[in-house]
Amino acid sequence: MMDRYTKLQLVGIYAALAVFLTFMLLPFFEMFMASLRPLEHLFRSPYQFWSDDFSFQAYRDMWVTVPLLGRYIFNSIFIASSVTLITMVFVVPAAYAYARLNFPFKNISLGIFLGVNMFTGAVLLIPLYRVLRTMGLLNSYWAMIIPGVAFLIPTGIWLLRSYLEKIPRELEEAAFVDGASRLYTLRRVVLPLAVPGLIVVGVAVFIGAYAQQFLFAITFNQTRELQPLPAGLYEFIGYQTVTWNEMMAAALVGVLPVMVIFLFLQKYLVAGLTAGAVKE
Amino acid sequence: MATLNLNAITKSFGTAKVLHDISLAIEDKEFVVFVGPSGCGKSTLLRIIAGLEEATSGSIVIGGEDVSHAAPVDRGISMVFQSYALYPHLTVYENIAFPLRVQKMAKDQLDARVQHAAKVLQLTDKLQLKPGQLSGGQRQRVAIGRSIVREPKVFLFDEPLSNLDAALRGDMRVELSQLHRQLDATMVYVTHDQVEAMTMADRIVVLNGGQVEQFGTPMELYHHPATKFVASFIGQPNMNFVPAKVLDTGGALTVELEGGHKMSLPVDTTGVSLGDSVEVGIRPEHVALGQNGLDITVNVLERLGGVAITYGTIGNGTRFCASLPGDAPVREGEILKLTVAPEDCHVFQSNGQVLRRKSAPALVA
Repeated sequence: MMDRYTKLQLVGIYAALAVFLTFMLLPFFEMFMASLRPLEHLFRSPYQFWSDDFSFQAYRDMWVTVPLLGRYIFNSIFIASSVTLITMVFVVPAAYAYARLNFPFKNISLGIFLGVNMFTGAVLLIPLYRVLRTMGLLNSYWAMIIPGVAFLIPTGIWLLRSYLEKIPRELEEAAFVDGASRLYTLRRVVLPLAVPGLIVVGVAVFIGAYAQQFLFAITFNQTRELQPLPAGLYEFIGYQTVTWNEMMAAALVGVLPVMVIFLFLQKYLVAGLTAGAVKE
Repeated sequence: MATLNLNAITKSFGTAKVLHDISLAIEDKEFVVFVGPSGCGKSTLLRIIAGLEEATSGSIVIGGEDVSHAAPVDRGISMVFQSYALYPHLTVYENIAFPLRVQKMAKDQLDARVQHAAKVLQLTDKLQLKPGQLSGGQRQRVAIGRSIVREPKVFLFDEPLSNLDAALRGDMRVELSQLHRQLDATMVYVTHDQVEAMTMADRIVVLNGGQVEQFGTPMELYHHPATKFVASFIGQPNMNFVPAKVLDTGGALTVELEGGHKMSLPVDTTGVSLGDSVEVGIRPEHVALGQNGLDITVNVLERLGGVAITYGTIGNGTRFCASLPGDAPVREGEILKLTVAPEDCHVFQSNGQVLRRKSAPALVA
């Protein structure tokens, strides 16, 4: 059997897992602990892991300190959702074309898309700024949505293309013989079968959009009301003090939607990323 | 219903030529089987008829209409795929209804057609299930159901039984033959299994290396194979080929088989000269135990009950298989004397072409 391990191996595996998870989750835990403490206790020396004055006060105060916090959270989700939606509109037909059709420069253009992924947004910030200024899009939602879409389309195409390629060609041929057009086949046969793949790509794009919006927001947007949460968190940094506990609380609340999505879609993610890897 | 004519079809993939100048005339309501080893071009030919591939040259005429460049749906064909190609997310009902939905057929008419197809194929109580909940044979029937609702002129089958187990395959063969009678339609069926070809076909096209070796009724192919390839492909177990030397061409063809046995065979001797090397084809079922004749060393004996199949060698080690009565007194390792009637023998020239037999059984219509 493949999954038989000796006791020693098991100990090793779990030790490695523990180190890895600690590394990943400790910041979240520390954020949570910080958000529970009154501000003055955060700087207490010596460091005290457990205090008797834990409270959720920061979760109430943060809405007062930064009155637009709700708006920022909404903006974050709105921008990420818009980016996801628009990206998918472009990615689905493109990925299908790359998976099934033959056209000139197919592999070269696919390679270029991969090449785009090598650049981070940061490298292109200044040219992008000029483009957006010329188009008069600075200080609007579009300033954060359009670059987001542009940077996520390549990833989306690569992910979805490989998923669509696993859908048996004969299904489409059968539909073709029965008189279905390409678009009808795409709508009635291919997309329903690609739902797990679409979810995987959608979630990947959403997370990507959520993560990258900070850079675009602080560069392309000065309008307070349009800022997403990561940029809005700056407002917890005051002239006199930084309300760390409230900032941590706000950050956690902001990350929550992504975590919830992950929990619900986890089984699709696992199934989708490995679909077709082995014969069923 | 319609005739199907292929006129000088050729197909090349890049520089590789996979079909060479294929012309066939298939009658109305005929069940024609394309048979051949894998890579012989039979599936490609079917896909060209379906319109899934474009022929490099040549034309396809269905029911008197040239459809060489028509879309599949305009050719009046429907196709059953090897993998069934059922839509896993749709119910059996929707799978069968799919071609009609594409046509935007009215609901009541659509329902009547689907129900009728389901009745013909005994799927009425399965209509609400998904393909994943069906057995292999049922899935196969759904695929056939999807092809019959459109009431096409010509049915195309691409190895539809190859994914089924042996017992089910036998049942489905019978069902398909019945369906052919019931629908009274022209059917073209691709398989690599000569048993399917022999049992179901009105006529068989034997393909080899992208060329038609022979086109004829099953019994014609069995009794009058045109080439060594056809002879080796049709019949179970396979025909034996024993190398021989021509001794005399006057009247009958007198040959000396490998191993020294001499026979005088009633075949057309045109084009054969003394001393030529030929091969004598002997079907395993045409030999019998006798006092003198071919000397066969038995290596393996398979008793199947009704028959006993012996695998052995003749002469310098040429393999020879014989089908004997089930309780024939034969043992592995012994040397058998087998007789064969000269009129049952086939003779093939070194280029694979047959010498026509003069006294073959009358053909069964």
